[in-house]
Amino acid sequence: MKYVVRRILALIITMIMVSFLAFAAFHIISGDPARAILGMNATESQLKVLRQEMGLDKPFMVQYLNWLIGFFTGNLGISYSYRQPVSELIAPKLKVTLLMVLISFVIIIVCSVPLGLRAAQKSRGRLEWLRTTIIQLCMAVPAFFLSILVSYVFGIIFKFFTPGDFPKIEKDLAGAVKYLFFAAVCIAIPRIAMAVRMLKSTLIEEMEKDYVRTAISRGNDRTEVLKKHVLKNSLVPTITFLGQTMAEIVGGSIVVEQVFGIPGMGRFLVASISNRDYPVVEALVVILAFWVILSGTLADLINQKIDPRLKLGGRA
Amino acid sequence: MKKRILAGILAVSMVGALLTGCGKGASQSADAAPAAGTEEAAEAADGTETATTERAQANEIVIGIAQDLDQSLDPHYAVAAGTKEVMFNVFEGLVKYDPNGDTIPAVASEVEVSDDGLVYTFTLRDGVKFHNGDNVDLDDVIYSIQRCKDDPKVNPQTSTGLQCIESLEKDGDNKLVMTLSEPNTELMSLLTLAILPADYDKQDTAPIGTGPYKYIGRTAQESVELERFADYWGTPANIDKVTYKVNEKAEGLIMGLESGALDLVSHLSSTQVAELNKDDFNIEQGTMNLVQALYLNNEAAPFDNELVRQALCYAVDRQGILDMAFDGYGFLIGSNVFPAFTKYFDESLTDYYTLETPEAGKEKAKELLAEAGYPNGFDMVITVPSNYAPHCDTAEVIAEQLKEVGINATLKKVEWESWVSDTYAGRNFQATVIGLTADPLTARSLLERFTTAQRVEDAEGNRGNNFINYNNADYDALFEKAVKTYDDEEQTKIYKEMEKNLTEHAASVYIQDMADMVAVRKGLSGLTFYPLYVLDVSTLKWN
Repeated sequence: MKYVVRRILALIITMIMVSFLAFAAFHIISGDPARAILGMNATESQLKVLRQEMGLDKPFMVQYLNWLIGFFTGNLGISYSYRQPVSELIAPKLKVTLLMVLISFVIIIVCSVPLGLRAAQKSRGRLEWLRTTIIQLCMAVPAFFLSILVSYVFGIIFKFFTPGDFPKIEKDLAGAVKYLFFAAVCIAIPRIAMAVRMLKSTLIEEMEKDYVRTAISRGNDRTEVLKKHVLKNSLVPTITFLGQTMAEIVGGSIVVEQVFGIPGMGRFLVASISNRDYPVVEALVVILAFWVILSGTLADLINQKIDPRLKLGGRA
Repeated sequence: MKKRILAGILAVSMVGALLTGCGKGASQSADAAPAAGTEEAAEAADGTETATTERAQANEIVIGIAQDLDQSLDPHYAVAAGTKEVMFNVFEGLVKYDPNGDTIPAVASEVEVSDDGLVYTFTLRDGVKFHNGDNVDLDDVIYSIQRCKDDPKVNPQTSTGLQCIESLEKDGDNKLVMTLSEPNTELMSLLTLAILPADYDKQDTAPIGTGPYKYIGRTAQESVELERFADYWGTPANIDKVTYKVNEKAEGLIMGLESGALDLVSHLSSTQVAELNKDDFNIEQGTMNLVQALYLNNEAAPFDNELVRQALCYAVDRQGILDMAFDGYGFLIGSNVFPAFTKYFDESLTDYYTLETPEAGKEKAKELLAEAGYPNGFDMVITVPSNYAPHCDTAEVIAEQLKEVGINATLKKVEWESWVSDTYAGRNFQATVIGLTADPLTARSLLERFTTAQRVEDAEGNRGNNFINYNNADYDALFEKAVKTYDDEEQTKIYKEMEKNLTEHAASVYIQDMADMVAVRKGLSGLTFYPLYVLDVSTLKWN
């Protein structure tokens, strides 16, 4: 229990630090939000008025503290670029990205576990070179290229979906899921390849351990041993890896969202950074930090359930 | 066994996808393999036809845009060209632009100007309605003009221009008498300012105008919706519903066109339209209506030396830029006015620094550099906004060309927001490639910026927009004379002299007005080009 409390505390502190760093980064890079709004022909007096309206004339720390207080009281502020409450703007985008990430995560698990097992079993097979090549290829292909490829092949040639015409989730959930599936595949493929490779090496390493040799020499079936004992013992690194994956696929979604024209969080983050829309960026950065830490924490907690020995590590 | 099959299918489909993808791309760009190409094209045409016929039957259209609208949709405050491009369909002024860039009556049906050019009498058109159903009355007109004149948040080029208005008075229910303190030949261009309902305070989020389309709503970074305004006073628009879809990536826009999600996308490059299937799209070519130049900071060494600037003009082979970076499309210019602005464009300046061959130009450039004291050239930095691929490409070609005369130019790519604050507003640069537009569409808005008044700080510490620090007494004198000249012909002549002054003193290296490629789905017609950065949806229709 103490462990959980400590993790939550760490989570909050990390989020505050991340938000502060993001805020500070904005003040270091050049570009002025007032000018971003008013454009090239803005006069100094126009800028001054707007800066005052947006509270940008206050000292840096005051601005940050105001934001922080707002954050803890549930007020994320008003977006500079849309003049709408940040929470209202982000909610629909969050929904889209979350759905996409979940689909992607399911694809990764469904594909990588059987493929990884297979790869470990057949690691001395004749087609090993082909498998390695495909895995390397999938890991190396850039998300941007993969997205264009998938939209082209499945969207334009086979017409499984219409690239650029993302249906609204509220109106057509099935259509949205179908659309997101293809985007999710693009995020998943490199991670599947990584997972397969990781699983394969973990399994092979485990297979070489004494207990496996003993089990087999006692007459147990090789495949049975692999499934019942080896896999269970390889679960801990696998879950840790999946935790990382959970965090990283959100990052991978940015490019994919842009090519597929999906109105998600990643695209919104990029646009808000170039618009110098601090309130939106701050909120998104905090959400992302939360997501990353949450994935790691969840993986840790699950691992402890599976392997109680790990709890000892928690006390150190 | 099952797993093996699954793995096999996955592997095969992935390799297959790779091959088809590459094969298709290659055959398109090289125009090879005609047999396979036509087959695919026919298939694609079938599919997209159903998608668009549906939309054509519903009389709707989806347009792809590369940037979201401004934070405020209030037309008097909007600054982004992309926002004006969309909202052009929603708002109108007393007068509006026709496709030649001339002003024609809109909310006013008639204008009478007194002989001394000081009194304008506008007759309000009968039956002009706002999108909320209210009739437009004189109070709305006066409110709108007054607001543009007084509100500090309005584009300064508009509000400064309107300062000459001394009084606005009603004469009966439908006549507005406008008295000026001095004649202003550019007043009509300024009066294209949107007429808004008086004291309506939701313009920034729920704008109301009098144009052929009314604003329905927007979803941040996703879409903007317009609907035909049934009570429009003029020729009604043809298409019932217009949806703009936002996608920052050009690849996404192209994909949307090919998949049938989009019907029209403007501002494409020649390479991008080359990817499109010509059986589905017509490509129309207009102009971007901007002045693309290698702008030189006239206060930063070595560009404070006129000889050096002239050397650069000789050294840069503009046709070479068009050929290298724009597939030969584009319109060469020689001063700070773009060709579509025919009234002020002076074609004779275009080839001012062009010799028989580019090689001769390079020789001349070397001579001038030697004379200026740089026989071995120098190092320079060209700052470019990284989000504008055409400007980056141009800068890249220029850097190559300058190498041949011994100038070592390096590119510094910066984010747009940094460009605006540091390069443009801060004037902290040596050279930069950018395109300048005219807003409002007047010679003044293109040429006033190079005067001394715009270069130095005023009493309040405001600095104007002479970001290249051009400093020329003759130019200032000409401008003084131009604004005091009320005869249109005479004034045009002076503005042209100002253009010539910029060319002769090589204020910058003027390059081109870029070609504007618009992909329009077959079956859709009526696209009209303006010498402005707008897209008139009201003339579009499905055949």
